[in-house]
Amino acid sequence: MKILVCLKQVPHKDARLELAGDGSWIQDANIKFEINDYDNYALEEALRIKDKDPATEVLVLSIGPDRVQQSLRTALGMGADRAIQVWDDGLAHADSLAIAKTIAAVAKAEGRDLVLMGLMADDTNFGVTGPMVAELIGFPHATGIVSAKFEGGQVEVERELEGGALEVVKLTLPALLTTQTGMNEVRYASLKGIMQAKKKPLDKKSLGDVGLSAAAIAPKVKIEKIYSPPKGKGAEILTGSKDEVAQKFVGKVKELGLL
Amino acid sequence: MAKTLIVGEIQKGGLREATLELVTLARKLGGEVASLVMGSGVGAVAEDLAKKGGGKVLLADDASLANYTSDSYARAVRKAIETEKPDLVLMSNTPIGWDLAGKVASQLDAGIATDVIRIEPDGADLVFVRRMFNAKFDARLRVSGSPRIATVQPGANEAYTGSDAGSVAKLDGVGGESRTKFVEIRVAPAGGHDLTKAEVIVSGGRGLQKPENFETVLKPLVDALGAQMGASRPVVDAGWLPHEYQVGSSGQIVTPKLYVAVGISGAIQHLVGMKGANHIIAINKDPDAPIFEVADTGIVGDLFEIVPALAAAVKNAKGG
Repeated sequence: MKILVCLKQVPHKDARLELAGDGSWIQDANIKFEINDYDNYALEEALRIKDKDPATEVLVLSIGPDRVQQSLRTALGMGADRAIQVWDDGLAHADSLAIAKTIAAVAKAEGRDLVLMGLMADDTNFGVTGPMVAELIGFPHATGIVSAKFEGGQVEVERELEGGALEVVKLTLPALLTTQTGMNEVRYASLKGIMQAKKKPLDKKSLGDVGLSAAAIAPKVKIEKIYSPPKGKGAEILTGSKDEVAQKFVGKVKELGLL
Repeated sequence: MAKTLIVGEIQKGGLREATLELVTLARKLGGEVASLVMGSGVGAVAEDLAKKGGGKVLLADDASLANYTSDSYARAVRKAIETEKPDLVLMSNTPIGWDLAGKVASQLDAGIATDVIRIEPDGADLVFVRRMFNAKFDARLRVSGSPRIATVQPGANEAYTGSDAGSVAKLDGVGGESRTKFVEIRVAPAGGHDLTKAEVIVSGGRGLQKPENFETVLKPLVDALGAQMGASRPVVDAGWLPHEYQVGSSGQIVTPKLYVAVGISGAIQHLVGMKGANHIIAINKDPDAPIFEVADTGIVGDLFEIVPALAAAVKNAKGG
């Protein structure tokens, strides 16, 4: 099976995020980045398929500036076979559909049986790229899956609904699946894996290299401004030494009639 | 706004509340309102939506729509868009909405804003307001082209309560094959750890840093308060606690008298599960954490110092 796993690099969970001067994005020059958590589960799922069938080829793709090469090397270290980075000035203000068109161009050129990616990205939280790519490459899709069983050219997946309910659906391959967090236990790259990763191919491509142009992916969605949410009434903050705070806490619990 | 098409959702045989929230939003924007109801034998639901502000309700009634599949629903939505030619298409940001909306947007090469909380008119244009970076920031988006598609966060708008004399029109040509086959809905077996009836819940998040700390740091406070222990999604995803501890939209929805959130930043999926608590106390080192917006009482600081002090003080107050 030939698999494509899409990895987005997003600010590290613990990074202190500050707004950029023009208010259209965050300051991203001096913060740590990591692979989008949802995507880690997609990569792990692909590697598990490869564990069972070593003939499987796992190609990882990331769209972003050169810093994403580090995430791609991590994925190669975990066991992916090769990596593609796509970057171009024309992608700097890409919207979901522009990203989807870029991924679709790579997926088509590479001839895939399965495309995996996270349900959404932890930075923009849009969550539409997967179904868009599926449509553009003519694959059926399922979003937010927590399990996948492959058998006889088909895959049966559980989609997470609300309140702990699951929807079971069956798709015929080729297909595109987006993964929910917690789907599996994500492996770490071994030392041997990291050494091997250095020799694995990582190709950098421009929009032109994948048959697209800035005009072909002109964004329809523009982030005009991001800002700190207006403060509501907010919480009453208990202040003082830790013992004073503890006494105030006890006071609250008593007021509520729970002590 | 010239015309808005609302894509309705059915839940437990009736209209989903989130659909009526879309009605509120569409009516606030003004202009014509049309709606779509999809299913098999769901004429009564369409009639219901017509009475509740859905305007001209298109009824896509076909055996192939009995259960959600993206191919069959996208076909009906596209048919409705062709028929009504709306400028704006609204869906709910639900497991159906997020599976469907991107596909339709891609088919129409349309701009889409997802998980929107508000849509504000700005002259002839619209501004789509939504959260980003896991609710750390708000964003204002412009979407060009027509139609524009938006999915709206359930609960962000009030459900429409007015009554109107709308109409129902059958939408033809909506049947067909789907490449995705619905198998069944599996409801998770009820776990032994029922939080829905708990009077006091103390929940821990990623801020507790490692699984052992739930036992050594959190548990003493849980025991002192006679509470039940809960957790946020990242804790369950990491396998630190079983799913039956998870509070949130994909876990348990709880309504205790007191909810203590320890080291939980307050992702929307968690807030949905606990905002019904009578009193919320949040403990977090980040004063800007979204959890402090829904909490009644907050403590800003290092939970590893504060939580043991709270546990000791509660034990003391109980006289032992």
